[in-house]
Amino acid sequence: MEKSDLSQHISRRFNEDLEKIRGRVLAMGGFVEDQLAKAVTALVEGDSRLGESVVQDDFQVNAMEVTIDEECSRILATRAPAASDLRLIVAIIKAITDLERMGDECEKIGLIAARLAVEERPANKYREVKHLGRLVQSIVHDALDAFARLDPDAALRVARMDKAVDEEYEAIQRQSITFMMEDPRNISRALDVMWIVRALERIGDHAKNICEYVIFMVHGKDIRHIRLEDVETVLERRTEGG
Amino acid sequence: MVGAIGAFVGWALGAFWLGMALVFALELARQLLNLFQFEDWLRNRNRRNPPDGSGLWGELVSQVSRLHRRKQFHKQRILALFRELRRSTASMPDGVVALNQAREIVWFNRKAAELLGLKRKTDFGLSLAGLLRVPEFTRYLQKGDFTRGVVVPPRVGESIALEFQGVPYGEGQVFLLVRDVTRQIQLERMRKDFVANASHELRSPLTVIAGYLETLALDSELPSELRPPLEEMRRQSERMTAIISDLLELSRLEASDEQVEGATIDITALMAVLRKDILAREGMIHSIDVRIESPENLRGDLGLIQSAFWNLLDNAVKYSPGGGTIVLRWWVDKQGGHFTVTDQGPGIPAEHLPRLTERFYRVDKGRARHMGGSGLGLAIVRHVLQRHGAELMISSEEGRGSTFACHFPVTRLISSTVANP
Repeated sequence: MEKSDLSQHISRRFNEDLEKIRGRVLAMGGFVEDQLAKAVTALVEGDSRLGESVVQDDFQVNAMEVTIDEECSRILATRAPAASDLRLIVAIIKAITDLERMGDECEKIGLIAARLAVEERPANKYREVKHLGRLVQSIVHDALDAFARLDPDAALRVARMDKAVDEEYEAIQRQSITFMMEDPRNISRALDVMWIVRALERIGDHAKNICEYVIFMVHGKDIRHIRLEDVETVLERRTEGG
Repeated sequence: MVGAIGAFVGWALGAFWLGMALVFALELARQLLNLFQFEDWLRNRNRRNPPDGSGLWGELVSQVSRLHRRKQFHKQRILALFRELRRSTASMPDGVVALNQAREIVWFNRKAAELLGLKRKTDFGLSLAGLLRVPEFTRYLQKGDFTRGVVVPPRVGESIALEFQGVPYGEGQVFLLVRDVTRQIQLERMRKDFVANASHELRSPLTVIAGYLETLALDSELPSELRPPLEEMRRQSERMTAIISDLLELSRLEASDEQVEGATIDITALMAVLRKDILAREGMIHSIDVRIESPENLRGDLGLIQSAFWNLLDNAVKYSPGGGTIVLRWWVDKQGGHFTVTDQGPGIPAEHLPRLTERFYRVDKGRARHMGGSGLGLAIVRHVLQRHGAELMISSEEGRGSTFACHFPVTRLISSTVANP
């Protein structure tokens, strides 16, 4: 009797630990989302202070990564998790790296936005960047939602959306080249915009990675480096086999 | 009775024990049949009519079906009540989310699903903070202090501002009320903008009037009977200018709730400046006593802090017309840093103390206005202190004087050895 109580107690504590750490990852994700929103707003509205605040706050993202990382190591060492618990921890360790990189990209955007704020804004008020920013924000949001709900179908949908980001990125790239050729005085700003767009595109990629971890966590199947069209068949084969 | 029939059959057949056994066997078969029928009915009692039975079996069936009917009746009633409850909460204008001790979603109504983007089928048992991922809200839940709500400004790409109010119940569970406060926030901003714009618009014409009044007052050909009214006009226009510049400062302070970072403020130097400025004033009859009892300095915005301290000092001079000593004191203890201004004036009646920092609030309506204050000084002080995480405490004793104390948190202190290495 006593023994079974004890084991139940331990597993409950373990569950709580896992839930807590998942909560922390999501809180970190929320913070990164906030940073991203602020960075894009700083550029679009020419708010240099907002841009600087993004740069200043990036250390918090790094700090969160370090604490979550330590917590994961502690769980690995003391609990020796197996199966889905192990997959969760592995996925978290990977996801926080991606989140931290996203934070770094936000910092980059904030820095450039703060610098561009002193210059006159272009006639279109960075409309394309704003649009791309929205798209990336929604991808990050949906990816983290899929992570929160452990929903592989949603994750797959979000991963597909990344293609739209890539297309948008190329369109802005072509446009920037045209601007530069029209008037060499545009070159410096166009280059800055290119950096920002590049950072946004990278953030989209990191969000896609998080989606892949969600699928890995739920199905135990690694879908990296597989074309998305093939993923479904891979997953189906697995469910049929198992 | 069965035994009697058995004995009779046995006697008739001439084999007593055989007849007895035969009849008992038949009776047993009948009872078993009844038992099976009863069991079958009990299992499918919602669809089947009760079996006909007489005697003990019939009684049993009627007892059980009575119990069953009563249970059905209560179940229906509770179900109806539950549906009613669900319908009423669903039509509530506010979102409601019930959270358990681990802050996981137990239940939510339709409005909450709409406001927070929750999904009915999948989201039960998930952590709400993880789904929303709004840093302000996560902090609010973690802190667990539900005496006040938290307002989450709209995130980029969305247009609604939400207010969350937790209501703890049971053993650590929380009922969370979610409200759309977009409209209130807009109104609040409109009010602030209005004050700021109106003050700004009033300032330019007033500058012109004040300028002409000043020129007129210097005119040597001015008839002497016009001098007193002109002087009064000039004083009043100065007062209006002061009110407007205070209003502008207040609306600037109100524009943000964020804590001021600031730099090191040298308390000794600040006190010296305050003392010098106030003593330079015309007709000063007070003596100023500066007591700096701790070497620590303050971290904050020098301009704001100076204006706050100046307001307190200015008030002390204004409201102790009989003169006396005004003490400026700075000291540090475990709770933090403290700056106090103590005067030897007539003091403030206790009933006025809580309302003193309201805008345009006056203890003595006639007298205060005569002295040319804007009525906004203490409101400004309060806002400046708020943005430094500090508090304003007022204590007063009628006839003895008043003390205005600013309490700064420990995090705002900088030991002077670090500041001046």
